[in-house]
Amino acid sequence: MVDIQAKLKEIGPFVEEPDDDLLVCRCEEVTKGQIRKAVHEGIFTLEEMRRYLRSGMGLCQGQTCGKLVKSIIASELKVSPAEVVPASSRAPMRPIEMCILAEDGGGCDE
Amino acid sequence: MKIERYDMIVIGAGPAGLSAAIEAAKKGLKPIVFDENARPGGQLFKQIHKFFGSKEHKAKVRGFKIGEELLEEAEEYGVEVILNATVVGLYPEKEVTVKIGDKVKHYKGDAILVATGASENMVNFEGWTKPGVIGAGAAQTMMNLHHIKPGNRILMLGSGNVGLVVSYQLMQAGCEVVALADAAPRVGGYGVHAAKVARCGVPFYLSHTIVKVEGDECVTGVVIGQVGPDWKVIPGTEKHFDVDTVCLAVGLSPMSQLLKQAEVKMNDTKGGHVPECDKHGATSVPGIYAAGDVSGIEEASSAMIEGRMSGTAIACYLGYMTEEERDSRIDELEKQLDTLRQGMFAPKNRGKLVEKTDEGIDVSMNLLNKGFVTDDEIERFPGVTHQKGIHPVIECTQNIPCNPCQDACKMGCIRIGENITSLPAIDPEKKCIGCGMCVASCSGQSIFLVEEDVEEGYGEVTMPYEFLPVPEVGDRGVALGRNGQYVCDAEVTKVRIAPAFDHTYLLTIKVPNDMVMRARFYKKEA
Amino acid sequence: MSNVADVVIIGGGINGCAAAYYLAKGGTKSVIVLEASNSIGHGGSSRNGGGVRQSGRDIRELPYAMYGIKNMWPTLSEELGVDTEYTQKGNLRMGKTPEHIKKLEALTKSANSVGLDVRMIDQKEVKEICPYLSDEVIGASWCPTDGHANPLTTTLGYYKRALEMGVKFYTEAPVKSLQKVKGKVRKVILNDGTIFEGETIILVSGYESRAIARTIGVDVPMTRLIDECLVTEMQPHMIDVMFGCASADFYGHQTKHGSFVFGSDSGWETVDEMVDPSTNIPDPSKLITNSMTLSASCRAIQGYIPALKDAKIVRSWCGWLDESFDGVPFLSRVDEAPGLILACGFTGHGFGTAPVVGLMLSQMVQGEETVVDISALQYNRFKPCR
Repeated sequence: MVDIQAKLKEIGPFVEEPDDDLLVCRCEEVTKGQIRKAVHEGIFTLEEMRRYLRSGMGLCQGQTCGKLVKSIIASELKVSPAEVVPASSRAPMRPIEMCILAEDGGGCDE
Repeated sequence: MKIERYDMIVIGAGPAGLSAAIEAAKKGLKPIVFDENARPGGQLFKQIHKFFGSKEHKAKVRGFKIGEELLEEAEEYGVEVILNATVVGLYPEKEVTVKIGDKVKHYKGDAILVATGASENMVNFEGWTKPGVIGAGAAQTMMNLHHIKPGNRILMLGSGNVGLVVSYQLMQAGCEVVALADAAPRVGGYGVHAAKVARCGVPFYLSHTIVKVEGDECVTGVVIGQVGPDWKVIPGTEKHFDVDTVCLAVGLSPMSQLLKQAEVKMNDTKGGHVPECDKHGATSVPGIYAAGDVSGIEEASSAMIEGRMSGTAIACYLGYMTEEERDSRIDELEKQLDTLRQGMFAPKNRGKLVEKTDEGIDVSMNLLNKGFVTDDEIERFPGVTHQKGIHPVIECTQNIPCNPCQDACKMGCIRIGENITSLPAIDPEKKCIGCGMCVASCSGQSIFLVEEDVEEGYGEVTMPYEFLPVPEVGDRGVALGRNGQYVCDAEVTKVRIAPAFDHTYLLTIKVPNDMVMRARFYKKEA
Repeated sequence: MSNVADVVIIGGGINGCAAAYYLAKGGTKSVIVLEASNSIGHGGSSRNGGGVRQSGRDIRELPYAMYGIKNMWPTLSEELGVDTEYTQKGNLRMGKTPEHIKKLEALTKSANSVGLDVRMIDQKEVKEICPYLSDEVIGASWCPTDGHANPLTTTLGYYKRALEMGVKFYTEAPVKSLQKVKGKVRKVILNDGTIFEGETIILVSGYESRAIARTIGVDVPMTRLIDECLVTEMQPHMIDVMFGCASADFYGHQTKHGSFVFGSDSGWETVDEMVDPSTNIPDPSKLITNSMTLSASCRAIQGYIPALKDAKIVRSWCGWLDESFDGVPFLSRVDEAPGLILACGFTGHGFGTAPVVGLMLSQMVQGEETVVDISALQYNRFKPCR
């Protein structure tokens, strides 16, 4: 069980840092500062961060920034990155054109 | 709706996937291997350096050659390899969806092996998204697969084996590596890899990280700075380099997305998100296996053995061999894997400072901090002796799993023994004939032939040389020390090449005889 | 940590978060929200097409759906301090056959009867609204006051605001059972044994509400059904309307970000057991998409919007609908279990009404009259059919 209010109190308010403008998710142009600020608004998980800021939701699906976002959240929450649950993986693993999928009838020979 | 079913579907035609398919096919399975790339072999075809290990691990063979051998073996055993085939989904009942050309096809396997490898990590600093900041693996792909020079002046971040090997290859491709930096306080990769980069004159900056990359449209410079114990840059320690390329070799992450999609139980480790596997590579989902980097980052040599283990386990799972047969084969493979996982770089030592070798010798701290062993330090290692006449000087100072030099010397001058991680030692009773086989066989390029007195006041040093253009006999240039600094003038007296050397030239230079233990690299101009 | 509050809300989805926010705004001192998973909005709140519409709804739902669109959605972004991406540019419910058109006409007629502005339009007018559609679309119903929003930011917006106002949220807090104290539902017991107590308990946990309500002897007539969503890569701005079909082939819209979000099915959903691959035992928490639906969805969408044929799909995901037996939610106090309010069975269209449902839940707690009459949504409305 995670007590969100207690955790927010523990980590204290958001404090600006000089590298807050640093781009972390390049597909969706999300900065370090946005991610750090979101943590102080109660966004503690990668899933929520994806929903809130779209980090890791672009063409590369977080392959580049997933680990980086995780470590930023962890450092803001003052926990080890291992305590931040990785985001889920969704098909398709590589982007595919709608017309190609539309031809797929569920078998091998269609 | 017809779904084609295979005994075994392998995702990824890299060293692990191909090895698994071959192993299983040998037992009568009909595996199909999908790979999203246009060429099979995974990362092997980018590896132009000689591999470590012993004969059973194909030591001293260059990576791409190992790839070719694997492909031949796969063909021989009827393994079906489908290229340009991207597996986009791994669904319940071990069903995969594969994009092949402009079609998506569905296949089911009685067993599935996920061997999708890894992708490069990135690190954030000001300017990291500028064109010219690239992964070291990407640089390797550009050079070794597409024959494109990634840049002219390059800074490498990362002193693990990838950072070291790629730095060397960049120089081979004609790039200038202006510096190698790493936030860690010590070189992460093999000392022999570091030493061959350092003696070419590349300065190492340990405990340094990138502060920023400069340039408007693309990279024009980089600033690094020293990090303190809190990993933050200490003000005033910044150093600027004019570069057009910054290479990042800051680790790899397993590409385990398909396993996650398949609801395989995962472990979140320092090395990434990896499946929980038994020793055969079986995941929590019956029939789904994982091998190679996707189950934890290691070297290609281990990936090939892991692949063979998974192939064996799958053959047994599907009734193509008994459990007894499986266990005996697994035992055999486990021994091979164990030998690779010994020594200073064994998984159990990851991140630890090993201060003494297995032999009880103090490890060179300069090697760990600057990338080279100093002239004083080198004397304490068993491969370094002073003898009359020509003899090998082996500057192999860490316990790494590798022993080709022992077999290379037909005269028995070099002794490693049963344990392949032991430091090579010279047997002074045996007579060196100067054939140079040991020099060419050393994957770490750490063996030199030294002869103190070839003529009045002069001796000769023979070194491995893998740069173009190859110097010619009579060329005059300079000898560089282990630290890459000028030690004396030198003249090329011999250039040897033979099929057995496998493209490693043996370059002999004449230097003043008090320099034979210091001169370790030759450069045409000062 | 005090485990006692005026209101304990079971379920950290959009309805639970909205209720918490309006309760706090309305002056309720202490509110606790319990979320079973590790993330807010883990259920249907992040697994829907973002429709904010009135058309196509049952007339029992229409009054409050219309209230929300008229009085709440237009100012919601401002109120919550997030971009809900609310876009009110109409809903196009398309038909390809005369049967489809007949169905749409019937829906239109019943919606008109409660005062909703929705009308039938012909192919020409359809094309004027959206030039990218297939010629196979012969007509549509058109409701200009419908629209869409971003369910992810809206849900988290309510959460964020409620947090700011002092609502306590607990994640990874799965509820095992309810317990009465002196005839009144008061205790909420978690799987790990932790006990929370509330003067009022709001059960707003999607299909899981059924199992929880059963622990005090109340059964809610609903089942569950899996549904899939998919999203394209970013596209140039094309269209602002919300799409739907008479035949339920697909639904969706282009988001502010540029990507198109759609929902659709393959027919497999009705038999999907959501089995844990490791054990082969059904486990609804797994949320595994199946191998056919993504392609089937693309086929359906391309049949209506051929202009998107080269758009790349970057992701697909699925979620459970809590399907009530008659297609509209249960939203009422439970007579036989005083202290308990039920809000579940939203049947896949609960996002657009979440603000007004949250508001009405707070009104029910605070003893006020709800903004519209919802007596038709009583939890015990099920009657035997023979």
